[in-house]
Amino acid sequence: MTTGGQDTIRTTLKRLIEFSGANFTADDVIREFRLPKDKNSNRKLLTTLKIITKHQPSARNHLIEVNKLLEKKDPFYCLVHFLNQYAENGTTPEISKKTSPVALLSSTKISDPVTRDKVSEIKERVVQAASGGLSKSIQSGTAGGNNSTLLFPALNKSRSNSSWDFQKIDLVPFQHSNVSALPIPTQEAVLLHDLIYCLSGMRGNYIYPEEGCESDTDAIRFKISEQIHSSLRDMAYEIVPLARHYVCVQKFVQRASFTNCGQVLQALSAALRALIHDYYLLLAQLESELVAGSLTLHKMLFYIRPTLNTMDVLASAVNDICSSDLRGGQALTLLYDRINALTGDEESQKFLIQLTQLAAVPYMEILQMWIQKGVIDDPQEEFLVEDNEVIRREELPEHYSADYWEKRYTIRRERIPRFLEKVSDIILRTGKYLNVIRQCGKKVKPPQTIVLHFSPKNQNHIAAIQSAYLFASKNLLEVLLKENDLMGHLMSVKRYLLLYQGDFITQFMDACEEELDKNVDQVLPVKLENLLGLTLRLSSAKHDPYKDDLHCELLTFDLATQMSKIINNEEEYWQNNDRIDLYGLECFAFRYEVKWPVSLVLNHIAISKYQMLFRQLFYCKHVDRQLCKIWKENNAAKKFTPQAAELYRSAFALRQRMMNAIQNLEYYMMIEVIEPNWHNFIENMNKVENVDDVLVVHQDFLDLCLKNCMITDPTLLRSIVKLCNICLNFCEFIQKAQRHFLDAELSSMLCESDGDFSESEFDVSSHRQTESSLAPTDTFSERVKRFDLEFTGLLIGFLRQISDVASDNPSDRFINLVHRINFNSFYNEQLDKLCAKDAMAPHH
Amino acid sequence: MPSEIITLQLGQCGNQIGFEFWKRLCLEHGISPTGVLEDFATDGLDRKDVFFYQADDDHYIPRAVLLDLEPRVIHTIMSSPYAKLYNPENIYLSKHGGGAGNNWASGYSQGEKLHEEVFDIIDREADGSDSLEGFVLCHSIAGGTGSGMGSYIMERLSDRFPKKLIETYSVFPNQDEISDVVVQPYNSLLTLRRLTSCADCVVVLDNTALNRIATDRLHIQNPSFTQINTLVSTIMSVSTTTLRYPSYMNNNLIGLTAPLIPTPQLHFLMTGYTPLTTDNDQTVNVRKTTVLDVMRRLLQPKNMMVSTGPDKTNHHCYISILNIIQGEVDPTQVHKSLQRIRERKLAQFIPWGPTSIQVALSRSSPYVQSSHRVSGLMLANHTSICSLFERALSQYDKLRKRGAFLDQFKREDMFKDDLTELDESREVVDCLVQEYEAATQPNYLHWSARKGET
Repeated sequence: MTTGGQDTIRTTLKRLIEFSGANFTADDVIREFRLPKDKNSNRKLLTTLKIITKHQPSARNHLIEVNKLLEKKDPFYCLVHFLNQYAENGTTPEISKKTSPVALLSSTKISDPVTRDKVSEIKERVVQAASGGLSKSIQSGTAGGNNSTLLFPALNKSRSNSSWDFQKIDLVPFQHSNVSALPIPTQEAVLLHDLIYCLSGMRGNYIYPEEGCESDTDAIRFKISEQIHSSLRDMAYEIVPLARHYVCVQKFVQRASFTNCGQVLQALSAALRALIHDYYLLLAQLESELVAGSLTLHKMLFYIRPTLNTMDVLASAVNDICSSDLRGGQALTLLYDRINALTGDEESQKFLIQLTQLAAVPYMEILQMWIQKGVIDDPQEEFLVEDNEVIRREELPEHYSADYWEKRYTIRRERIPRFLEKVSDIILRTGKYLNVIRQCGKKVKPPQTIVLHFSPKNQNHIAAIQSAYLFASKNLLEVLLKENDLMGHLMSVKRYLLLYQGDFITQFMDACEEELDKNVDQVLPVKLENLLGLTLRLSSAKHDPYKDDLHCELLTFDLATQMSKIINNEEEYWQNNDRIDLYGLECFAFRYEVKWPVSLVLNHIAISKYQMLFRQLFYCKHVDRQLCKIWKENNAAKKFTPQAAELYRSAFALRQRMMNAIQNLEYYMMIEVIEPNWHNFIENMNKVENVDDVLVVHQDFLDLCLKNCMITDPTLLRSIVKLCNICLNFCEFIQKAQRHFLDAELSSMLCESDGDFSESEFDVSSHRQTESSLAPTDTFSERVKRFDLEFTGLLIGFLRQISDVASDNPSDRFINLVHRINFNSFYNEQLDKLCAKDAMAPHH
Repeated sequence: MPSEIITLQLGQCGNQIGFEFWKRLCLEHGISPTGVLEDFATDGLDRKDVFFYQADDDHYIPRAVLLDLEPRVIHTIMSSPYAKLYNPENIYLSKHGGGAGNNWASGYSQGEKLHEEVFDIIDREADGSDSLEGFVLCHSIAGGTGSGMGSYIMERLSDRFPKKLIETYSVFPNQDEISDVVVQPYNSLLTLRRLTSCADCVVVLDNTALNRIATDRLHIQNPSFTQINTLVSTIMSVSTTTLRYPSYMNNNLIGLTAPLIPTPQLHFLMTGYTPLTTDNDQTVNVRKTTVLDVMRRLLQPKNMMVSTGPDKTNHHCYISILNIIQGEVDPTQVHKSLQRIRERKLAQFIPWGPTSIQVALSRSSPYVQSSHRVSGLMLANHTSICSLFERALSQYDKLRKRGAFLDQFKREDMFKDDLTELDESREVVDCLVQEYEAATQPNYLHWSARKGET
């Protein structure tokens, strides 16, 4: 094609250059455009083109188009594209300018000797028609000039003259004899001749396309010469539409033969060719009857009637395919719809079914490969599933699996044939599952080879797809659940990241608390990792087969910042933005690493959700532990005299209120959110039928937990962090004070040492950020009171926020937390006060 | 590095309940009486190392120290199938074997004398654990060894291990029968003083209530020690179940006790258990056990293992509650049950602080079959516990007024010169009663004890 294309390019160029009077040759231009893109400036190329087309109408538009193309494509391609405009359309005006309108009709394109010799021409036509497949090559020989438009098949959509389609063949002054003078039977014979020509795509003497619609075969209408007697003419008018249909089909066959039209259209055109063959046989029969003299118009009409109907159906179908530029699945959809529309017209329906079945063969073969082996063999991009990745698993980056599942294979909605629409989803999944199984290093052996045939009459293909799907999903689920012990892994994740294995967490915190209490930049990840390994081996976790999947991670943000970043990018980062001010504890999280295919479920999105939950739980647990620690230290007060104990009682009571709040928060998250949701999750997991179900169920579980643990609500989350921090500050304060009062009480056993503490002793530089601005001059009880006020304020505010959120989302569990913390209605009064205050305050 | 707990069993009663406790633990963990893991038992489900350690040959040995001044009970243990379970080095029998004669003072002074030998054992045991969390002491407060020697050991423990928790399972004497120990009120009072000032947490096991429950609820005419001790071992094992079968919360001793005890003095806990059954009683229970059911019944006084007597003024209240629920529990039921209890005000709580019913869902041993779907233990801090101390006070006062049986005490060094120890103890216990009473009032935080009231 290229060499042929080259010649035409050269020809077209030469013509253009001649016409424009430019001083370079066609070869110059081609050389220029052949240079690699980087050595060429688009501007220069454009100028060249401008010069050679300066006398051409509409050149401006073409130039603009080329300019755009140049941005993206190879210059040579652009040149070809550009010239094509002139090869197709450009020549006509060119000719029309140079020559008279009459000359248009006697264009050089038709070789004169042929037209002059009528007999040999007919002979040739018959030969051609009989060997439809060869028509193109013959055509290119006989009508080479016409073929010049075929620079590239893809660019040659508007017209294909490789078949007879009444074009300009009639230019020869043929109608010298006046038929009207002939008697009607003779006229009939002449007309019959003409009709047979016409039906094989040639322009007859008395039947010719109406002016102006020659080029548009879809709407081609015929005119029968007025010379023919009207009774004959009427009958002939009934026959001529067949010619139109034939040309339609024929044209489609030509077009679809190019490889880039897709396998479906190719198969369709092959099937059509077989049908056309029958059609030719019919014509041949008609002709032989005509020659024998036994054919009449009536007879012909009678013979042709069924074919007319069928061809009508076919023509309109292929016409629609062409005009909407359909391919692959879409074409099949159209055919399928046509079949259904033809209910009642059994004959045509049968034809169409046969045709559709044949056309669907390549598609079904692709489908079969996909659902049985998970392989897409789709060179023409017709199949409804698209493979977006060609990288092999080993080369994939770390975080690929979440995307893998989502993005590797996708459905192209527009490519789904209608009869597969309902099963498209399971088709996608079938192949996906097979791929996963194969990537696990397992061989997939379908139970039996299914041969997929499409048939609109029965649902066999659907059943076959479903059984393939069942096989694949069952297999993958088995691979995941049985061979790779997904549930065991999930259990492990629950143990560590959801703190289910409380004793392990306690031990781990015992071991790491000191390290994690440092600034995050000073925390040594290696040390954490070592301590983790040690704890895993020494604690009850040692029996867990997946303990080695657990690792430590120090993230760059605290949870609240992370969440506000996720939820709202615009939102201000809540105070400390950089990691400098953060403590190891705030950044710490476990990481759970799993191998394919478990990573399909425990992908990095799922793990980061687990981490969010973990961080919240872990921080609360830490606060809880600190409170417990000072509880133990405070227990020294039981040796004090009861009178002295009074002094500390308010501090103890505050500590207990903090403990109550924090522990209830923990209980709420663990017992009321995570555990019931886990319970549901496990129940759902017992019901799942495929891996997508697993993913959905798992994601639902995580999202519900995140939401109900108040992590997704930035306001609530912040309140929780503030509450935690004030508790930590209080613990620190008490621990420092403890030393003093322990000494004081135990040595003297005297009470009332309220003001004894000097300023320096109480310089508790609260490192956790908090709103408390403690004056260092305060006495112990004053400072406790301050803590009390601040904590109570925060807690009441928090409870209020929850109530507000809960009233908006009655289905969620938030309100349970309020009930827990305020179980004995201790905070009722303060809550009511706050409510009243809110009600009084003007609404903004 | 688990949070190990060392159990100290003192005296006749302490060793008996300790014996039952270890029997129970062995059963639950699938450990044979000789300390070998049974074939059916698998690792990884439970945590044995809190209460046991493994010898070189991998068999399990309780972290237990058995102390007594007379040989009877320990001999019984040593002739039982469980003889080989214990570390023989951890069994200490007083050489002269004469016992403490049910005399607190005698037990205390013998404890003082034997102190070095006893603490050799305890120190060795403490050094053998990676991160000792605390001690559990089993004893009775009425006898001689458990109360007297127990008091001495408690004092030393809290000095020597100030960072370790001391929890006791203290058996209070049966008030319904006349005791043959005439000095019981003295013993009780003196022990109560140490329980108040040295222990971090006291689980009160009231023989009065245990006997009543055995007769009234379990229909045992004359409950034997073994039957009562089965009840006790159930309480002890369930109250430690969150340590042995850890889950989200309450998986160490401090996490278990800290939320229950708001101020240092108020650390006397009562227990309740439901459903109660005995071995020969299988037909009685036809009821369905649900979480709500169990939680509601735990709030009924008749299920409490402490006889607090009728609360005439109806002012006593819960300071805190922890329910340990075992069995097939749908976790969604927990919230519903809590909600129901809250709405119906089934429990009365302190007015001076927030408190609630915490529910720990605990796994239970797969090797012990329970006939009940759900069972529950309540650990509660309730102000009415002070009636027990009031009773002890009044009995003491009666005896003290008459100056009865004091000569037994005067024989010992501690009381040779004067009886201030008794007076001081009375004051401590009196303060305790006052504090519990005050804890029912909203102004508890600003309450201060009155001195010298009789």
